[in-house]
Amino acid sequence: MGSAELLQYVIAGLKSGAIYALVALGFTLVYGSTGVINFAQGEFFMLGGMLSVFFYQMDLPLPVAGAAGVACTALIGVAFERIALRPRRDSGPLVLIIITIGGSMVLKSLARHAFGPNEATLPEFTAGPSLDFAGAAIERQTLWVWGLTLVAVLALTWLYRKTRFGRSMQACSLSHDAARLMGIDTARVVMVSFGLAAALGALAGLAVTPLTQTSWDVGAGAGLKGFAAAILGGLGNPVAAVAGGLLLGLLESLSIAFVSSTYKDAISLVVLLLVLFFRPQGLFGRARKEKV
Amino acid sequence: MSARASQIGVRALLTVVALVALAAPLLSGDRYLLKVLVFVGLNVIVIAGLALLFGYAGQISLGHAGFVGIGAYGSAYLVGSVGVPWLVGVAAATALAATGGLLLALPSLRLKGHYLAMATLGFNEIMYVVFREARAITGGNDGLGGIPFPEVAGFSIDTPAGVYLLVWGVTLVVVLLVANIVRGRPGRTMRALHGTEIGTLACGVDVVRLKVRVFALSAALAGLSGALYAHAVGFVSPATFSLEHSVAMVAIVVVGGTGSLAGPLLAAIGLTLLPYADALIPGLSKETVALMQDWEADIYGIAMIAVIVFAPAGIGGLLKRWRRVPGGGEAA
Repeated sequence: MGSAELLQYVIAGLKSGAIYALVALGFTLVYGSTGVINFAQGEFFMLGGMLSVFFYQMDLPLPVAGAAGVACTALIGVAFERIALRPRRDSGPLVLIIITIGGSMVLKSLARHAFGPNEATLPEFTAGPSLDFAGAAIERQTLWVWGLTLVAVLALTWLYRKTRFGRSMQACSLSHDAARLMGIDTARVVMVSFGLAAALGALAGLAVTPLTQTSWDVGAGAGLKGFAAAILGGLGNPVAAVAGGLLLGLLESLSIAFVSSTYKDAISLVVLLLVLFFRPQGLFGRARKEKV
Repeated sequence: MSARASQIGVRALLTVVALVALAAPLLSGDRYLLKVLVFVGLNVIVIAGLALLFGYAGQISLGHAGFVGIGAYGSAYLVGSVGVPWLVGVAAATALAATGGLLLALPSLRLKGHYLAMATLGFNEIMYVVFREARAITGGNDGLGGIPFPEVAGFSIDTPAGVYLLVWGVTLVVVLLVANIVRGRPGRTMRALHGTEIGTLACGVDVVRLKVRVFALSAALAGLSGALYAHAVGFVSPATFSLEHSVAMVAIVVVGGTGSLAGPLLAAIGLTLLPYADALIPGLSKETVALMQDWEADIYGIAMIAVIVFAPAGIGGLLKRWRRVPGGGEAA
C-alpha cells in the first residue's frame, strides 16, 4: 500500500472519528450531570439529519435548515428530560436507563411515521471538487465535519472552564446533593445538559448527512459507535471522549485497509467489549475506588 | 408476605396458562391461531429468563435476540446441515447460547453500574453482523430455509397442532423451572440483593456468581426458544434477531414489573398477541391490525416509559395489590 493510499484511509478514519467524537461528547455530558448512560443519544444524531432534511425540503436555505434541525433536536432533548426523566430523577440508574431506552424506541418510531421509511440526503455545504492533500483526496464536506467538531469542542471547553454554568455542571458531576446545598439549580443543569447533548448529536447527524445519507434507523448504530468512543477514552471526560472518537475512527478505517470491510462494524464493537472488560475506566481515565 | 403471595400468583398464572394452552388447539383447528400461539409460547420462554434477570437480579440485557439467534442458527445448522438428531441439535444450540452468555456476563458483571446493558447491546450488533456475513452457516441475508421439523424417537412433529403442543409443553416446563428458582434459595437471595447489595455481600453471598448464573440461564432459555423457533417455522433470517427485538423484550419485562414472574409472563402473552390480535378477535379489520403492527414499537416504548414513571412495579405490582385488597391485610 502506497503512502498516499494509507493517508486516504487515515483521512477517512479521522472523518468518521470526528462524528463519533461529537456523539461521544453527548454521552459524556449527560453521564457527567446525571450518572446515566443515555441510550437515546443515537436518536438525536438521527433527528439532527432527518429534521434538517425536512426543513431543507420546505425550501429553507441550507444553513437555516441545518440550524433549525439542530435547534429542534435540542428542544426535543430538553422536552424528553422534562417529560420522561424528571418525574423519576431520584430513582436509581437502572430506572433512568430504561426510560432512555423507551425514549429511543419512541423517537425512532415516530421519525419513521413522520418522515417515512426512505433514505434522505442533503447537498454538500460547499459544492466543489475534492481538495488534494499529499496525493490523497479530501472532500470539502470532510473539512466541514472537522471544522464543526472543532468549534463544538472549543465552545464546550469554554463553557465548562470559564462560565458559571460550566462550574455548576462540574459540581453536579461530583455530587448532586452538595451542588444543591451550594445553591445550584441541579434540575436546570440536567435539563440543559440533555439539550446540549442532543444538539451535539444533531450536529454530527447534520454534518454527515451529505456524505452518507440518513434515515430513521441510523440512530442505534451511531449511538453505539459514540458510546464505544466515550468508553474507549473514558466516560465522563470530554477531552478523552474526543480522543476516543478519533481513535475509534482510525481503528475502523485501518481495519478496513488491512483486515476486512465485511467485519468493520464488528471490529469496533469487539474493541468496545474488550475495553469494557479489561479497562472500564477507558484508555485515558483513572480507576476510581468504590466506597461503601 | 411475598413468598406466599408469589406462590399463589405463580399457581394462578400456571392454571391460566395451562388452560389456554390446552383449550386453544382443541377448540379450533385454526392454523393461523396455532402459529400465533406458538410465537407466544416461544416469547414466554425468553421472557421467563429475562424476568429472572431483570426483576430479580436487577440487570438489563439488550442482547437476548442475539442468543435467540445463536440457538436458531445453531440448531438449524446442526440438524439441517450436519445431520445430528433433533434433540441433540436443540440441546447443543442451547448449551452454545448458555456458554455465550457466560463469556459475556463474567467480565461485565464484575463491573459496577450498567455496563452489562451496553456490552449486551454491542454483543447483539456483533451477532447480527455474523448472522448476515457468515454465509456458509447462516445463508446470509437471504436466510436459511428447509430446516427439518422436530423429530423425537423417529416421530416427526410436522403438524401445526403437534408443533403447538411441543412448544407449549416446553414452555410449561420452563415456567415451572423458573418459578422454582424464584421460590427457592436463589430467589430469596436475589430479593435480598434488591434490598441492599452490600448487605447481601456482607452475609457471605457471592453476588457476582449468582448474577452470572442467572444471566447464563436466561441466555440458555433464549437459545432454547430460538432452536424451537427454527424447527417450528422452518426458516430463519437475520432480521428476526436484530436489536429491535432485544429492546422489545426488555419493554415486555419492564411492563411486567420487577420481582414478579406472573407479571412479565402476562405482559409477554399480551404484547406478543397485540400485532396478531386478528387471530383472537375474528371481526377485526385488516386496517386496524396493520395500524397496530405499524405502531407496535411506539406502543412498546410508550408503555415502557408510562409503566416506569406511573406504576414502577408494573403488571406484577398491580397483581400483588389486587391480591392484597380483598384480604385487607398487609401494607407494602
